[in-house]
Amino acid sequence: MSEWRLWLRVGVILVLSVGLATLGSAQTPAPPDLTQFSLEDLMNVEVTSVSKKQQKIAKTGAAIFVITQEDIRRSGATNIPDLLRMVPGVDVARIDHSTWAVSIRGFNGVYANKVLVLIDGRSVYHPAYSGVLWYAQDVPLEDLERIEVIRGPGGTVWGANAMNGVINIITKSAQETRGGLIVGGGGSDAQAEGLIQYGGTAGQNGDYRVYGRYSNLGKSDAATLAQPADSKRLEEAGFRSDWNLSPRDLLTVQGEIRLVDGGQTVTGAIAQAVPAVGTFSEPVADDDGNLLARWTHTFVNGSDISLQAYFDQSHASASVGDDWSSIGDLDFQNHLSAGSRNDVVWGLSYRVNANRFGSSDVVTLNPLRRTDSLYGTFVQDEITLTKALSLTLGSKFEHNDYTGFEIEPSAQLVWTPSARHTIWASAAKAIRQPSNIDEGLQAVSSVVALPQGLIGLVTLSGNPNTKVEQLHDYEAGYRAQLNRRLSLDVTGFVSFYQNLETLEPEAPYFAIAPGFPHYVIPFIYDYKAHAFSYGAEAFANWNVTDRWRISPSLTMLDLSVTRDPSSQDSTIEQLPGYSPRRSFQVRSFINLRRSLEWDQTIGYTGPLAVENIPGYVRLDTRVGWRLGEFWEFSVVGQNLLAPRHAEFPNIDFVDHMQDQRSAFGKITWRF
Amino acid sequence: MNLTLSLILFLGTALQLRAQALAPGSPFDEYQVKAAFLYNFAKFVEWPLGTFANSSDPIVICIVGQNPFGSTLEDMVQGKKIGDRFFAVRRLPDTQQAGKCQILFIGAGEWKRTRALLDSVKGAAILTVGETDDFTALGGVVSFKLDGPRVRLQIAPEAGERGRLRISSKLLSLAEIVKRQP
Repeated sequence: MSEWRLWLRVGVILVLSVGLATLGSAQTPAPPDLTQFSLEDLMNVEVTSVSKKQQKIAKTGAAIFVITQEDIRRSGATNIPDLLRMVPGVDVARIDHSTWAVSIRGFNGVYANKVLVLIDGRSVYHPAYSGVLWYAQDVPLEDLERIEVIRGPGGTVWGANAMNGVINIITKSAQETRGGLIVGGGGSDAQAEGLIQYGGTAGQNGDYRVYGRYSNLGKSDAATLAQPADSKRLEEAGFRSDWNLSPRDLLTVQGEIRLVDGGQTVTGAIAQAVPAVGTFSEPVADDDGNLLARWTHTFVNGSDISLQAYFDQSHASASVGDDWSSIGDLDFQNHLSAGSRNDVVWGLSYRVNANRFGSSDVVTLNPLRRTDSLYGTFVQDEITLTKALSLTLGSKFEHNDYTGFEIEPSAQLVWTPSARHTIWASAAKAIRQPSNIDEGLQAVSSVVALPQGLIGLVTLSGNPNTKVEQLHDYEAGYRAQLNRRLSLDVTGFVSFYQNLETLEPEAPYFAIAPGFPHYVIPFIYDYKAHAFSYGAEAFANWNVTDRWRISPSLTMLDLSVTRDPSSQDSTIEQLPGYSPRRSFQVRSFINLRRSLEWDQTIGYTGPLAVENIPGYVRLDTRVGWRLGEFWEFSVVGQNLLAPRHAEFPNIDFVDHMQDQRSAFGKITWRF
Repeated sequence: MNLTLSLILFLGTALQLRAQALAPGSPFDEYQVKAAFLYNFAKFVEWPLGTFANSSDPIVICIVGQNPFGSTLEDMVQGKKIGDRFFAVRRLPDTQQAGKCQILFIGAGEWKRTRALLDSVKGAAILTVGETDDFTALGGVVSFKLDGPRVRLQIAPEAGERGRLRISSKLLSLAEIVKRQP
């Protein structure tokens, strides 16, 4: 294990040194003077366009929200979960200083398992945990092109686990990050971060960037968390290169390595001669290395094919055990116009995940080593019915090693009566695929004192008869550019869930081994609950004046979970209590002067029924000042209204903290 | 810690390199490219005799209403010459002063009054350039179209002829030609 970390560390230094060397030796490209370009050249220049994207989004038959570069820069956020707070329908709760629970439309938790997260097409949904380790998924925010958040099922295109939504994190192409970039920041949360990046051209048709990043999140103070140990330190190095092999062929190669070290405070079973439950601090670490290549070819007739391959190796460690995961993924897509009315996308995908678990005294997996494959195909056809009406039909057909073949169909109807109004409706089925833990977990989750000095071990085991959790979802939405200053987006949905995972008690028994007499109180996973939810999300963009924009948003969710008559899970029906039923937010962006920005976010998040977490109001503010083309300074204050507030109950063992008032300053220098 | 040390070293080297004035790293913004097209149009369009009083009068590019270019256009044509003519960039609230313009840009932000603006300069020797989908249909001469990440041109030669503009075949050959519907 130490060897593996050593190699990663060597890699970090190596990439940085390469960056340094190229910076030193690179032929400094002259500033391109576009007036020297011929007409033909100009026509081949690629631009970063906003209008095209908006046009496309305006005609999407799904609830989509795009976090733009402007949103990112002006949010003052220092990490991706904080950025996601702006998206209606997305529920973000900070659990401790460096642990987040992020979900869409309910079912939140540390390992919220119904949302798929992709970074440049690479899934970061952890196949063993069934969830996303957010502290280990970090991308320099300066390199983000945009984040697309799709609420509602995305299984037809993205496959399993894109159940309640998809978060698609997209980084800029290397062409967009030419030049040097240095970012440094620090703040009252004992946090510090630094980014060094250089981007240049390689040959006639290639661009690259290399970067190194360091970030440190300090511990909570003792008033917010007993025995705080929740710091994280992140070291990261990465690169991206984009090559125009020909005017019709684009090759992207990118990779990164990341080391995260830190700790967390946990309440759970402690393995000792006689086990007990206690609160303790433990070290945690996550190392990740990945490499991705994508080739896209565009044909003369406008259709295109793309082939993507990636390899991802990660190692997560905590006192409950160590997990090593190696993922290989291959993805082919073809987009073609069949006749004047059909626009077809189809694809093939294959993924293999080799997982190894290092047991601890309280958690083991059966089997410890396991290799799973997932393969499938999808096809989707957008049919133009009339000039204003289009119908999209499609389905994913996917095979997993736990439950066999699964189908995830969807249909979307989009009506655009004029260029500025879109009305859409959709129906879809999506699934969550079981993981290694659902099938093979063996854990001691708690220890209870019984009469006559006996102790009882509460155990949790996986169930070999796994089932997929299913969602049938129906939505409708309206999107409008009401005038040149005001746009509006409203979505309503009803969702029906089946086969939700429950914890069923089994008959207790007496045991002597290992070492001491005790009762075992066993629980086993099963799939004996269903749920119904309905809700709405709305947001608007209003350019009040040329210098002032406000973006209000609203989230409403009513979720009820019901166990089947055969279920004895006494807690499953409390699941809705982990997500707020109402929340709203207003973001304001003011350009005081051309170079001076003042931005604020005020938001209300409703109470959580579990543990009676009260609702709270958050106020964040940011002042940004640009000095010439190259320097930018910003100061951010977060949670200004109260010294601290709780955002989430204690579950999944990790002790929650109270999010603190904090301030953060940042300097950005481009050269 | 090794990494921290190498970061500091890296920073130091970068600071030294600053003196060598590296190129600004910004990618091409959509409007940088569109500005470059506006500059290029002046090379490939001939205005009728009498348009310029003097052989050294500047070529005037006007932007009506909302200006999506920022200062990009001014910066780009600053000091540039075509023949003996420099460039001038003017911003106009409407087309009342448009008589002095050779190139008139009407951005997407003006979609509401595009038709009215175009009607008010109909037949004048002005190369009207726009970026809305219906710009040429409404009587404009040149329209920018986005094709994926690239900027393409759409030209309605008949609209140019009404203003007695001669658009070179080179420019026409690179554009999508729109015939006015009868």
